[in-house]
Amino acid sequence: MKKISKSTFFIVVCLIALFSVSSAIGLDYLYGDNTTTVIKGVDDIRLGIDIKGGVDVTFAPADDYDATETQVDAATETIKTRLSSLGINDNEVYSDYKSDRIIVRFPWQAGESNFDPGAAVKELGEMAELTFRKGTDSIEDEEGNPVPTGEIVLNGEDIAEAGYTEQPNDYGDLQWVVTLSLNANGKEKFASATGELAGTDTPISIWMDNTMISAPSVNSAITDGNAVITGNFTSESAKQLADQINSGALPFKMVTSSFKTISPTMGEGSLDAILLAALISFVLIAIYMVVLYRIPGFVAVIALCGQIAGSIAAVTGWFGFMPGATLTIPGIAGIILSVGMGVDANIITGERIKEELRSGKSLDSAIKVAYKRAFSAILDGNVTNVLIAIILMGAFGVPSSFFSKILNKTVFFMFGATTEGVVYSFGFTLLAGVICNFIFGVFTSRLMVTSLSKFSSLKNRKLYGGDIK
Amino acid sequence: MSNKEKENKIKSDSPAKVHDFCSKKKMILGILIGVVIALIIGIVLRGVNFAIEFKGGTEITYDYTGDIDSGKVESIVNGIVNTHVTVRTGSNLDTGGKQLTVSFTSEEGLNADRQQELTDSLIAEYPESQIVLFDSNDVSPSSGREFLLKCLVAIIFAAIVIIIYIAIRFKRIGGWSAGVCSVLALLHDLIVAFTVSVLCGFEFNSNIVAVILTILGYSINNTIVIYDRVRENRKLMPKASLNELINASCTQSLTRSIRTSLTTGGTMLVITIVVLVSGYTSLLSFSVPLLAGLISGTYSSLFVAPVAWSWWKNRQDSK
Repeated sequence: MKKISKSTFFIVVCLIALFSVSSAIGLDYLYGDNTTTVIKGVDDIRLGIDIKGGVDVTFAPADDYDATETQVDAATETIKTRLSSLGINDNEVYSDYKSDRIIVRFPWQAGESNFDPGAAVKELGEMAELTFRKGTDSIEDEEGNPVPTGEIVLNGEDIAEAGYTEQPNDYGDLQWVVTLSLNANGKEKFASATGELAGTDTPISIWMDNTMISAPSVNSAITDGNAVITGNFTSESAKQLADQINSGALPFKMVTSSFKTISPTMGEGSLDAILLAALISFVLIAIYMVVLYRIPGFVAVIALCGQIAGSIAAVTGWFGFMPGATLTIPGIAGIILSVGMGVDANIITGERIKEELRSGKSLDSAIKVAYKRAFSAILDGNVTNVLIAIILMGAFGVPSSFFSKILNKTVFFMFGATTEGVVYSFGFTLLAGVICNFIFGVFTSRLMVTSLSKFSSLKNRKLYGGDIK
Repeated sequence: MSNKEKENKIKSDSPAKVHDFCSKKKMILGILIGVVIALIIGIVLRGVNFAIEFKGGTEITYDYTGDIDSGKVESIVNGIVNTHVTVRTGSNLDTGGKQLTVSFTSEEGLNADRQQELTDSLIAEYPESQIVLFDSNDVSPSSGREFLLKCLVAIIFAAIVIIIYIAIRFKRIGGWSAGVCSVLALLHDLIVAFTVSVLCGFEFNSNIVAVILTILGYSINNTIVIYDRVRENRKLMPKASLNELINASCTQSLTRSIRTSLTTGGTMLVITIVVLVSGYTSLLSFSVPLLAGLISGTYSSLFVAPVAWSWWKNRQDSK
């Protein structure tokens, strides 16, 4: 970066423009009937339930029952299965072992006029009815959902525990299996059923409510109450099936400890209002910056465009290496704060250029010194905000995220997981915005101002706020 | 450059006059006392309205048509939840339709089963009114308290981290005291925002959490810009007293401080106006306290933090 030439300005502007347009519009192409999204645009932003409407519910075992990790996993699996059988595929489910809480969030199902979130949540909290049945027969009820009809072999009460492990198959290769141990009652029933079905084509199917989760065939009679289910399991799918089976044997009911539904009509209007306000403010700030600082002000406006695009890109998941996030109203506040700090960075530098020119420096050295001196203030101010953002993301993030793992074991050890998405979202957009601030507010604006100052027609000191020498 | 030349340079850098910030102790104390008095009056007159995220409880809003007797709704709900119930009626901003809000606090909260029971009995009572759930919010008192406590711990932890960071980065000019004073200025801004919020009668809800967090970032950033100038001037005029340094630095940063707060404050003002015009007043509890906090943040970074800091350092030196 030793040499900044006249063309640097145009290259930087083109790159920022390209970045802004691609992060705003996104890039997708139609292949056959499938639209493949290469880059996600503004339309693909996942809006939080405070904007879009939806359900945010925290389940905990009733009567303060202290569940084990296996039981929490099992309960989580039940809820996930329920969600997909309700057709709610766009959902987030988090579990926390320490507080035994399960947090479920899903948007209001748009277009479904008879969607009843209350009934849906009620259904999620009920524990599953687990049945082992002969055969896989089922009939369809009036709504077209399958209802199992096979004779019941076992139900949840007969199961002691399910687990998963790796064991060698007939060829000596290791493979994942699900293990099942039954209690005394189940042992007898299972022995007679497997004795009857061994060697036949009729499998034993496993149902969670009205969803068939597995249908292993019976190789031989199992009399000792310990069965192994083989199949093409991965460690995840084996764990899932084990969790599902365990959920049938849970000794507690899940009740909601907090429960929030927001109708879809509520947030959209406020989103429109905030977007309108943001647009007006941006235009006003742009005019203000250009009037006050001329060329550095003009450059600041371009840099701000880049910075806003950067915040949007972070939310949509434009950068492949980091996942996107859900945009909530506090998330928008985070963007506003970081853009405000971006404006501030440009004002600090603009003021510095003026000062250095006034002290009699040449244009070139004034710009150079101004950016150098302004940087230490911008650095410290922004780094403190990075620290704040990380603390917030750690304290209020999902239990499995990186910062949470560190902070929740130390500073916040006495608290259970609260995925207060609202605060997390603020931290996320603030962090992304501050990083963009370094890239656009400091680095690219320096390149652009320095490059523009090489043009002989733009060498007038007045254009940088200085007095004529 | 000799020292004298350096000092001249500082003078020529700054707008003609160096303002005496450090002599404003009485004014700063006066303003702080005024704000605290306003806060106390506000709390006495209006009380602090914690939203159910923090205090726990239930609030359910339904859309409906036709006429509904809120007294009757109250008794129906009371029959189910056995606790004091408040019923408000209002209108839906988007559709203009009628709305009914039921709120109450019960020790165990309202689980989904009972909410369903409640909705069903209201529909049974008013079959003609097309009662539809608009939104609901139910938080058990214990998880509400835990959330509030967790927010507090997060903010205190952030303040400690900031003090440590400033102590390290500004070691040359006496970091620890500078760090603590920056947090004092932050506290000042938070009190201002909270006072405005109480005086306006806003509910203390998750919008306020966003406001507190934004002020946290903004206030510290402002103070650091001033400290940075002090740090730089210390190199340029090593013999100057701390008060001289602070006065020069604040004067030099004055234009920047005013201009920056015009842009950020202006943005909040635009949001406030748009929200007022469009009627989405739920955002007012976000934009108005934030506007106050931003103005206070500019003021406190120029006055509260540096002056408290100079007072501290001067007392330390005189010992």
